[in-house]
Amino acid sequence: MIAIIGLVVGVVLGLVLTPDVPLSLEPYLPIAVVAALDAVFGAFRAFLDGIFDDKVFVVSFISNVLIAAMIVFLGDKLGVGAQLSTGVVVVLGIRIFANVAAIRRHLFHA
Amino acid sequence: MTPPEDAHPEVGERDDRLPDRATMGLLAYLSTHTVDEDYAFVSARRQRADGDAVGHAPPSRRRAGPVAALVMALFAVLVVTAGAQTSRNASSDETQRRELVAQVAQARRQLATDRASATRLRTETATLLSTQLSEDAAVRRLQVTTQLLGTDAGTLPVRGPGVRVVADDAPNADSARNEVLDADLQRLANGFWAAGAEAISLNGQRLTNLSTIRLAGGAITVNNHSLRHPYVLLVIGNKDTLPARFAETSSGQAWLDLERQVGLRLSITPATSLRLPAAEVSLRYANQNSGGTP
Repeated sequence: MIAIIGLVVGVVLGLVLTPDVPLSLEPYLPIAVVAALDAVFGAFRAFLDGIFDDKVFVVSFISNVLIAAMIVFLGDKLGVGAQLSTGVVVVLGIRIFANVAAIRRHLFHA
Repeated sequence: MTPPEDAHPEVGERDDRLPDRATMGLLAYLSTHTVDEDYAFVSARRQRADGDAVGHAPPSRRRAGPVAALVMALFAVLVVTAGAQTSRNASSDETQRRELVAQVAQARRQLATDRASATRLRTETATLLSTQLSEDAAVRRLQVTTQLLGTDAGTLPVRGPGVRVVADDAPNADSARNEVLDADLQRLANGFWAAGAEAISLNGQRLTNLSTIRLAGGAITVNNHSLRHPYVLLVIGNKDTLPARFAETSSGQAWLDLERQVGLRLSITPATSLRLPAAEVSLRYANQNSGGTP
């Protein structure tokens, strides 16, 4: 499975290179990770549903990450960064949980 | 390319009713529409296109391509980087904290060592001084005088019998009316001086003729040290006569009135051995101006 291989390669790359995050981007990293997680679970569910599409995955992944980071950036500028981050995490968290539930139904028929 | 009416297959079906995101609550919408609708949309469009071309959708649709693998790799790098960054920050915070703790401990040790050596040196100086000067009778007389004067002035620690006086606010005091004021403590100290006290300390602060008992910022301050109630006076003198003679002074009378009227508490107990610390007295002298009249 090429996606799993990609995942493993990414982990190894990250561990070997340990890229330094610029200080100005550091606050957006956790939110970006949560958004990416949502995109990945969504893609996995779509894959199990048999409607997966490369292009949609790429676009949804990148737009998720960018929009989440942008919301936090905007919140920081407006002085409500923490609250907006919480909002983003709540929304994405709900989606992740629902997607994982659907994946579970697919895999275990339970 | 696909014609516009094919690109929006759902629009035609849902034309008669409002879209879900307008009719559902936000949370309900969130938990039912968890997958990007684009997946369904694109697959429906492709199925339509394939249906036109071949007849049915080939099974190879589901396979993820190299682009997806690339994005997965990107995702993994993102996760690993975020994790590494967080753990790095945590470990650097921890290191800084440890360093600070070590510095504090080291400074404390240094302070203890310095204090010990200062005490040792002071004792040594005193011993040397007395051995050096003990041969001369005149000097010895002077030393005795100095000692007596130091005891009286409060610059030497003293020890002896006396009374222990505890003055405190009235029980559940709520205003300055039933609290011990600076004037009350002044009266107490002056009363004991009048009753024949040889040395007095107030909450560990030796009273000298340069000491003040005054209210500063809500706390009673003696020798520039803020005190807290209960106020404990250690009075050295004749422990048998001090309480009685204090009661006879005008200050004693005033304190009796205070006890009776506003409920201040005062207890005087005799003690056989009290230790009073020395006060740190720094005298300021006027100097003659050598430069002539200004």
